[in-house]
Amino acid sequence: MASKVISSTIRRALSKPHGAVSRRHHLSTVAAAAAADTSTAYEDESILMKGVRISGRPLYLDMQATTPIDPRVFDAMNDSGINEYGNPHSRTHLYGWEAENAVEVARIQVAKLIGASPKEIIFMSGATEANNTAVKGVMHFYRDTKKHVITTQTEHKCVLDSCRHLQQEGFEVTYLPVKTDGLVDLEMLREAIRPDTGLVSIMAVNNEIGVIQPMEEIGMICKEHNVPFHTDAAQAIGKIPVDVKKWNIALMSMSGHKIYGPKGVGALFVRRRPRIRLEPLMNGGGQERGLRSGTASTQQILGFGAACELAMREMEYDEKWIKGLQERLLNGVREKLDGVVVNGSMESRYSGNLNLSFAYVEGESLLMGLKEVAVSSGSACTSASLEPSYVLRALGVDEDMAHTSIRFGIGRFTTKEEIDKAVELTVRQVVKLREMSPLYEMVKEGIDIKNIQWSQH
Amino acid sequence: MVSRSEVLSLCRALLRAGRQFPHYNLREYTKRRTLDGFRMNKNLTDQSKVNEAYAEAKAQLVVVERTVKLYSLYPPKTKNIMEVKLQ
Repeated sequence: MASKVISSTIRRALSKPHGAVSRRHHLSTVAAAAAADTSTAYEDESILMKGVRISGRPLYLDMQATTPIDPRVFDAMNDSGINEYGNPHSRTHLYGWEAENAVEVARIQVAKLIGASPKEIIFMSGATEANNTAVKGVMHFYRDTKKHVITTQTEHKCVLDSCRHLQQEGFEVTYLPVKTDGLVDLEMLREAIRPDTGLVSIMAVNNEIGVIQPMEEIGMICKEHNVPFHTDAAQAIGKIPVDVKKWNIALMSMSGHKIYGPKGVGALFVRRRPRIRLEPLMNGGGQERGLRSGTASTQQILGFGAACELAMREMEYDEKWIKGLQERLLNGVREKLDGVVVNGSMESRYSGNLNLSFAYVEGESLLMGLKEVAVSSGSACTSASLEPSYVLRALGVDEDMAHTSIRFGIGRFTTKEEIDKAVELTVRQVVKLREMSPLYEMVKEGIDIKNIQWSQH
Repeated sequence: MVSRSEVLSLCRALLRAGRQFPHYNLREYTKRRTLDGFRMNKNLTDQSKVNEAYAEAKAQLVVVERTVKLYSLYPPKTKNIMEVKLQ
């Protein structure tokens, strides 16, 4: 009996390398040693990481950063991952053939979701690579005649950075400003197009504020002026209906991990008729029509394809659920708090994104106090800096409001209870911070804080 | 044509299987998706459509049973905040 207890203790202690070692095991030397080894071990059910103690895994409301993999997608990836390990480019044996088959099925699934032909899909490592290939590749290919790129100030970093790179090479870039609701001014776009404009790059759904650009209208303008239209649709596919023909898209970037698929896979849509040509970033074996050399990551691509098919089937159902949760969240917060502002257009918006600013509260304190809710102040790429988001600044949001923004991302697996909990915790934290804030007191007394003359010390 | 009791027992089997996910969000999702899916098709009368929906749900059951086994091998090391009673 005693040996049984000891062995079960050892087993338990060994099976929990990072987890909590419960109190009753402290008598055992094994458990004590295990506890000494790891810095995160202490009482049941709570986590200590980076100096923050949380009583459980936080509820996940950051679906714009990434989404958890769907079990159905995971299931689809496993069989092939174990058995069909061939190189999809091997033409001489069965292993190669079956892997190639799997990749081609995924290609069809992705193409179907966006209304394209499978031949127009180029698999890549993600939307960042797709954006880089599209922006740099097109401009490099047509460098003799085209010298100008148009994009917007609210693009994702990887598009902006690619444009900056082009500027260093001597290309000219126009960064279109956006209206206060985050949408592009179509007249401004029309005026910005020049005879030597080689590309217009405007994202479909913004990653930070979730606004949906008027894609059809932008596509029409580009068609009129015969300029290729590239869009970053990483946040759009599988969430809103996407049709490359209706939008008149020449190039489109997509990502797997934003639609409950695996990370490390994405795709670039490259239109065939009329043909758009580009220079590849990667040179080598000439896979993927020579636009992306390197062995295709069969398993990831398969997962991406399965995620696309699932997204197509579930789009309507998910949309209905997510819309309801978004309303529940917004109403819940608005009911109990004043001075809550939604950043970006409310009419033309993907409902899984709710970017809120809380007046008279300091953003970082709010985020630090909300450790039970996994949210972000903006994009994950810039969440390390304390600077307010450049997207909100482009919208003309005041500095103080831009500093207090929180992006709530709602997805397929979010529950009503989680939303209620998020509302409760956010409200509690905002109220607490406002109680401490002298600014809020002054506002309550009727002082307009914008007119205060601050003296320097 | 599949009988009413067959449909109901498939629904129950899906719910039962889904409850075994060690992850809070997956458990809740399977429950909601199963109930909504069966409700959506409640008024189907066309025989081939009923059979089609039944076959689809049956395929989903296989997926749930398989993934539950796999996911149970990697349970979350700590519980979700929604499963923990906050003070």
